[in-house]
Amino acid sequence: MKLEDFIQQHRSEFEEEGPGPRVWAALEKELPVRQRPTVVRMLARHWWKAAILVALIANAGILLKMNAKKDAGVVLPEIAEMQGYYTTQIEQKLDELKALPPEELGLDSTTRRELEIRNDTYKLLERELQNNPGNERIRAAMIRYYQMKLELLDRILSEHEKYNDEIVTPSNKKDVL
Amino acid sequence: MPVTDQIVVRCRKGDVRAFHELYEAYSRAMYNICLRMTGHSSDAEDVLQEAFVQVFKNLEKLESDSSLTAWIKRIVVNHCLSYLRKKKVSWEEVGEMEAAVETEVDEEAHALTVSMVKEAIRELPDGYRTVLNLYIFEEYSHREIAALLGITESTVKTQFMRAKEKVRQLVKLKIKQ
Repeated sequence: MKLEDFIQQHRSEFEEEGPGPRVWAALEKELPVRQRPTVVRMLARHWWKAAILVALIANAGILLKMNAKKDAGVVLPEIAEMQGYYTTQIEQKLDELKALPPEELGLDSTTRRELEIRNDTYKLLERELQNNPGNERIRAAMIRYYQMKLELLDRILSEHEKYNDEIVTPSNKKDVL
Repeated sequence: MPVTDQIVVRCRKGDVRAFHELYEAYSRAMYNICLRMTGHSSDAEDVLQEAFVQVFKNLEKLESDSSLTAWIKRIVVNHCLSYLRKKKVSWEEVGEMEAAVETEVDEEAHALTVSMVKEAIRELPDGYRTVLNLYIFEEYSHREIAALLGITESTVKTQFMRAKEKVRQLVKLKIKQ
């Protein structure tokens, strides 16, 4: 039997294990990955938060356009009650968020400002509601706005919690990515 | 589109995970080439690392109709050859070019084992080992090996026959031990 035939017959037995982890560890530092600016990287990580904020703003914009010609009126008690309920909930979540260090939360100052309950979008919506107290669409939009904001805050808080858990879990050290 | 091509597209966009997937897909086979060619695990890792740096940097240059595997393998083999050249390994014939005679390894075939053959190949002089590895394991033709090493095709053939004869002698010694 020729040597090459013997080797071909036992080809897989000639294969050794792969390289040690040091090779990838070194390669990882030299990857030709363009470093994106900090704000862009932050946006990439928190894209869904940005998307919700855009949705909130767009939602408010459509409402303003729809109701621009309506007459002024007074705030109905049930709307005031709904506002009070959601405002309290949102403020509680915001307090929780404010208690966390900004760098740990991973949000830039613009996003943090957007999260504040008294932002411009909110004020515009509120003014429109005052001008159109009986309008069901505005009322429904307000509720949707509050719910989205609550959901957003909940997700930020739960993500933060999950992120902190991941940091302290040793098994994650294996995940090189 | 083949999976490997998709990885290449993602790598070109700077996707870190894609680079890792590409490395995972090829590192073992490529490390085995380096190990066979250098004969040392730590040198093999160094050569593999250098080769992958070049692979990652040059993915842009890979033409769409080229074989990714053949391209990566060629880069790895070239890095192995550079390593051997730095060690002053020469593939040129010294002295007479006598006709090589085909010999077989199985005088005591029943006693022949993979580990014996592996060991014998490892003990070959660097020049012989290179030619034998490129022909049997990496499946390059005599002509391709001649081009890679910058020697004539007949020198490659002679070196290959001598390498096989040396393996046969080494294996025979091991069987007797």
